[in-house]
Amino acid sequence: MTPLQPVILGDMPSLSKLYVNAAAQAARRRLLGTHDWSVLPVESHEVRGVTVDVANLTAYQHLLGETASDVLPAGFIHALAFPLAISVMNRDDFPLPLLGMLHLHNSVEQRAPLLFTDALDITARVENLRGHRAGTQVDVVAEVRVAGTQDVYWRGISTYLAKGVFLPGVDKPSSAPVRRDFKAPDPTGVWQLGVDAGRAYAAVSGDFNPIHLSVLSAKALGMRRSIAHGMYLASRALADVGSVRGDSFTWDVDFDAPVFLPCRVALEISSDQGGSGTWKRSDFVAWNPRSGRRHFSGSVAAL
Amino acid sequence: MSIDGQSITGPGESGVTSASGPALRRAVVVGGNRIPFARAGGSYAKSSNQDMLTAALDGLIARFGLQDERVGEVAAGAVLKHSRDFNLTREAVLGSALSAETPAYDLQQACATGLETVVGLANKIKLGQIDSAIAGGVDSASDAPVVVSEGLREVILDLNRAKTIPQRLQILSRLRPKDLAPLAPGTAEPRTGLSMGEHQALTTAQWKVSREAQDEVALNSHRNLAAAYESGFFDDLVTPYRGLARDGNLRADTSIEKLAALKPVFGRNLGADATMTAGNSTPLTDGASTVLLASDEWADARDLPKLAAVVDAEAAAVDFVHGKDGLLMAPVFAVPRLLARHNLTLADIDFFEIHEAFAATVLSTLAAWEDEEFGRTRLGLDGAFGKVDRARLNVNGSSLAAGHPFAATGGRIVATLAKLLHAKGTSDGRPARGLVSVCAAGGQGVVAILESL
Repeated sequence: MTPLQPVILGDMPSLSKLYVNAAAQAARRRLLGTHDWSVLPVESHEVRGVTVDVANLTAYQHLLGETASDVLPAGFIHALAFPLAISVMNRDDFPLPLLGMLHLHNSVEQRAPLLFTDALDITARVENLRGHRAGTQVDVVAEVRVAGTQDVYWRGISTYLAKGVFLPGVDKPSSAPVRRDFKAPDPTGVWQLGVDAGRAYAAVSGDFNPIHLSVLSAKALGMRRSIAHGMYLASRALADVGSVRGDSFTWDVDFDAPVFLPCRVALEISSDQGGSGTWKRSDFVAWNPRSGRRHFSGSVAAL
Repeated sequence: MSIDGQSITGPGESGVTSASGPALRRAVVVGGNRIPFARAGGSYAKSSNQDMLTAALDGLIARFGLQDERVGEVAAGAVLKHSRDFNLTREAVLGSALSAETPAYDLQQACATGLETVVGLANKIKLGQIDSAIAGGVDSASDAPVVVSEGLREVILDLNRAKTIPQRLQILSRLRPKDLAPLAPGTAEPRTGLSMGEHQALTTAQWKVSREAQDEVALNSHRNLAAAYESGFFDDLVTPYRGLARDGNLRADTSIEKLAALKPVFGRNLGADATMTAGNSTPLTDGASTVLLASDEWADARDLPKLAAVVDAEAAAVDFVHGKDGLLMAPVFAVPRLLARHNLTLADIDFFEIHEAFAATVLSTLAAWEDEEFGRTRLGLDGAFGKVDRARLNVNGSSLAAGHPFAATGGRIVATLAKLLHAKGTSDGRPARGLVSVCAAGGQGVVAILESL
């Protein structure tokens, strides 16, 4: 089967316009109902020749605790590709409401380092629409190549949940997965996240989703307080794993309880050096030191 | 002999072997790596000292395959250093691809910082305390620390100690608007209030160094550095960073006419004697450099090159506060002492690397060494110390062209000199020999001898 030609966008779409459009779309959806909502759009979106603003890169690196090297951090590339990922979920033929979707899981393969001097071709598509005990979930797959070449340097899969949305023709899993009890280990580190942590990450990532910006804007969307961006947390964990990860690795994270700001987050990172002493993987888990609730967990592993 | 100066003999006279311990072994320069130096406010304006030092370190690690290696010790420093960077070098190591079990320490000796890290670590290798080491230095004039005024600082500290609200209000009432102005670091000497350039202007006038001679030194620096880049000399000494592949200050197309057109910036109160311009003085610069040092065994076991041996070094200081000597003239005393310890003269040196803080610093140094009376009265010699063959001086350019991120200059010079010496091999049947001379704030200077391998 020949894959469909991608939809090539002239520029990286504007996230704020996408968010506004998503709100309008949500209203439109309630009126119209003709589409077959059990299938996903098959077209991918692509932007070619994306360049990195070095001042933005440096600000990102400093905020996340990465050294300001010329290599793009894997989380920075996620932020770079994010508007394109949102644009695919913002299409009229995308069956789930974009606003209010929860980021459940994120999985990145950094196959080779990308430098800030590289121009990048970025593609995004959605796939794997499937049921979840609490709604419907979908994967957004983004791929990044050096402009004009075929090799994928960076590949990210973000799994989102549309809570409470059950589509006809999409099966629910037969039973809820067994909830693992979480017992907090001894922390190896603690983060002090200020109330401005969401705004600070929004400034370097471009993701100004109101649920992250302030108590008021979060309340307007039904949250009791603003919450930290999931990818901010995951990217800080990646930075904390450190340079031992090298230039090619996988990076997975599962998100659990949201991090309401301000707060302290306790973190444990454990590394497996393997028999030969070379680094194999680091596992991380983060939790609320007061309540003991797990915020997220994941791993960085050698590729 | 009693002289009004500094005796050229010292405690090192007994030679290079210790009386009680085993014979010292050799410390060799394996290679170096730096990021291109950028003019302040340029390509590295947003990069911190830690960013730049880590970048230089990671380039060195990649070049010599040191990933996950536990190096004996890393020493580096910065002159303009934020208090949060108290463990700057260790933090850079932790952010680098070196093993996290590599120890590190910070060192600060103004502009001599970089060379002193080489000397100190080479000594540890010679003593057998470590087998490998990375010396380095970094400075950012762009990302410089800015501190609060003394008035505000005292108020903040007292507020911290206050227990009651009335106490706090009383303390706050001491605050005046002027206390809120932040203070940027300056280059003025604490004891004289004169900037380094103003100090050098006094020395320049004292030694009657001409504008033309200074501009010629600057021109040669740019030409030599540009030629070295063209010939590929820096291909294995420099790693690009933040889009910069060559030193941002380098002006390959500058000319004696362009340099002559610049207005003096230092010593203008000296009237007709003002000769120091932005062209023949080093600009404020950002950058970092590193040097890999090792014992012979460590380098051989990894099949790494051995460019040069760190033979010996000497530090000196002058009493500049009331003008007995010029602020930047300490190397004038250090070099004769160091050469005497090894029974050498200036004629035995194949490459001179005299740091160009200002063109006039180099020329004042040479003038002092050529002066009969200075040799007799200040150096305790029979006459002039000697003449430096200008064809052997800063042959691949120096700080006027490359720029001078204070603590990074020593590493730049040592790596450049080691490669020059290795390429020359022998001279008159003996190993080629190089001399490094770096002046520093506070009237200090550090000098060292390297020999080809």
